[in-house]
Amino acid sequence: MLSLLHSPKPTFRHLLIGDWFTIISCAIIIVFLFQTLWSHEHAAKVQIRIGDKIYAAYDLNQQRDIILHGPIGDAVIHIEQGKVRFVKSPCHNQYCVHQGWLVHSGQVAICLPNQISLELIGKQKPYDSLNY
Amino acid sequence: MQIQTNIDDHRIAKLAAFAIALHMVEAVVPSPLPGVKPGIANIVTLYVLLQYDFATAAWVSILRVFASSLLMGLFMSPTFALSLSGALVSLSVLWVAQYLPKRYFSVITLSILAAFAHIAGQLIMVRLWLIPHASVAYLIPIFSVAALFFGLINGLITARLLYNKAQKPEPDITEPKPG
Amino acid sequence: MAISMHKWPLRLLVIIAIIVVGVFGMRTLKQEPLYHSQSYVFGTLVDISIYGETEDRAKFFANKILQDFQNLHNQLHAWKPASNNQPSELGVLNAAFANGKKPIEISPQLANMLTDATALSVRSQGLFNPAIGHLIGTWGFQRDEFSAINIDDTKIKALVKANPRMTDIVIKDNTAYSNNPEVKLDLGGYAKGYALDIAATYLREQKVKNALINIGGNIIAIGKHGDMPWRVGIQHPRKPAAIATLDLADGWAIGTSGDYQRYFMLDSKRYCHIIDPRDGYPVQHTQAVTVLIPPQKNAGVLSDVASKPIFIAAAQDKAKTAAMLGIQYFMMIDAHSNIFVSKALMDKLDWLDPEVKNNSHVKLVTLP
Repeated sequence: MLSLLHSPKPTFRHLLIGDWFTIISCAIIIVFLFQTLWSHEHAAKVQIRIGDKIYAAYDLNQQRDIILHGPIGDAVIHIEQGKVRFVKSPCHNQYCVHQGWLVHSGQVAICLPNQISLELIGKQKPYDSLNY
Repeated sequence: MQIQTNIDDHRIAKLAAFAIALHMVEAVVPSPLPGVKPGIANIVTLYVLLQYDFATAAWVSILRVFASSLLMGLFMSPTFALSLSGALVSLSVLWVAQYLPKRYFSVITLSILAAFAHIAGQLIMVRLWLIPHASVAYLIPIFSVAALFFGLINGLITARLLYNKAQKPEPDITEPKPG
Repeated sequence: MAISMHKWPLRLLVIIAIIVVGVFGMRTLKQEPLYHSQSYVFGTLVDISIYGETEDRAKFFANKILQDFQNLHNQLHAWKPASNNQPSELGVLNAAFANGKKPIEISPQLANMLTDATALSVRSQGLFNPAIGHLIGTWGFQRDEFSAINIDDTKIKALVKANPRMTDIVIKDNTAYSNNPEVKLDLGGYAKGYALDIAATYLREQKVKNALINIGGNIIAIGKHGDMPWRVGIQHPRKPAAIATLDLADGWAIGTSGDYQRYFMLDSKRYCHIIDPRDGYPVQHTQAVTVLIPPQKNAGVLSDVASKPIFIAAAQDKAKTAAMLGIQYFMMIDAHSNIFVSKALMDKLDWLDPEVKNNSHVKLVTLP
């Protein structure tokens, strides 16, 4: 096997036309796999906006609580292995907390009274804006 | 009492030993991504498949899985289950793929197909038994890239080994010396 | 090795690698000329995307839209004064209505809006009724933060009996009065759509070719997102996710009325902000109604207004109500999460929700 290292002959000459066919098909399959499995599947990050500013973006592959200081008080969000949710919010109706876990990219939870929004961003956004 | 062994047994034993060595070297070397490994032991399986026959290759492959897990104390562990399922699916694909016309498909195709089958076998095991609720779907593309890359490299190495063998047939190390 | 390819395999591989890396690289490196801003104006989220303009220009336009919207809000807010001791224009008008039939002066803009809203109210046979401000207030929805209320059935019955209608309002030469003192305007179901139309008109005047404006959930599209149409998601009424997506071509608008937008729970019953003017009670048979409006002058207003009468109408009358309003593209989700979609809209939707994709919750409805 060591002879490989100092062999002067080009290694790729061993490839036959069928091998090229295999390689190209596999490459196409891989591109297809990326597109289907990484599109609106699991999101990679959560983008947090407070007011009209982007406050931060956190990786979803972790477990942690984050305290956000909104205009009417402190909200707590919880990130847990690929998903995120509002845990505590000073708002009156708690709609944001009732939203529950966000998992897929493009999902949003908005706390209007406290002007905080969470949006999951992944490789591809399934849509430009949400009608609600 | 002495067990009668023949030339085939010796050949399988020697090749399996070589495969086990490669397998264990790989097990010790840390991988940048958990689960992504070059699978260099497959080179031996492929070499045997082309040089001898499918049955010998299957023996070498399965012996390698059992023996290395025993040696590393991982027998019947999840690691062993992953290795075995990967090897089994890989072998079944090779069994079919060996009938591809040799004129157009070299060992490189076999190597790539075997690598894909290997990760498929492992992912099926992960999904069915080890962590049934985990979503492994998003890992598939990464594993596939690794399979294509390492499948190609291993295939090229095997092709070169076979080529060298064909160019200057040395006395086969697996054949006992006459005398 | 009969057909081994001695001369070019390595080169070919390198070329393929370069193409693949190039395609992926281009995708990630290519900075999209997309400007995106989100702002909160009076408790509403305004989300503006502008494509293909320099950031400075896009920012300028977005700020202008926000300012216009803020002004409109100051003018039309049903319960907040424009500033301290200075009621909104709508507040002044409502006070005048309550005080009798004396005409007061209103802005031409408000006069136009009221005329338009009245026409739509008539067309919906009174199901869209911005004159029931007193009822909405009684249910506690005219507050930023509202709670479950004690339902005052007597008061509600009295307010329904007073029968405030848009046709009670008389508008003449930029003055207005009401024949019915119980009329109290709440343009909550009209103003966002109106703001969309204003914003779209403004951007077109400024020669902006591509933009997507989302005011409190109602969306209007101008042009495209690069070479692709703008794509919008429709909120699932009970999940924090989109139920479906669709392409919004140039000039199209979309609006949804949902019982999840403003509501309170009382004895495990949901009371939403959409009130049936016929009995004075919140509608409980429907979770959401979405309408899609083809390009037209007041597409924004229609996207806001048209969903309400369909929401309020009973199940068997919904399709008829949609037809009455000239709405071809609509989807409704009833209290049991059954989904009904018009054929025209069905052809445009891509379902996203796995449950909906896999089973037969979705029923096609045909227009009468």
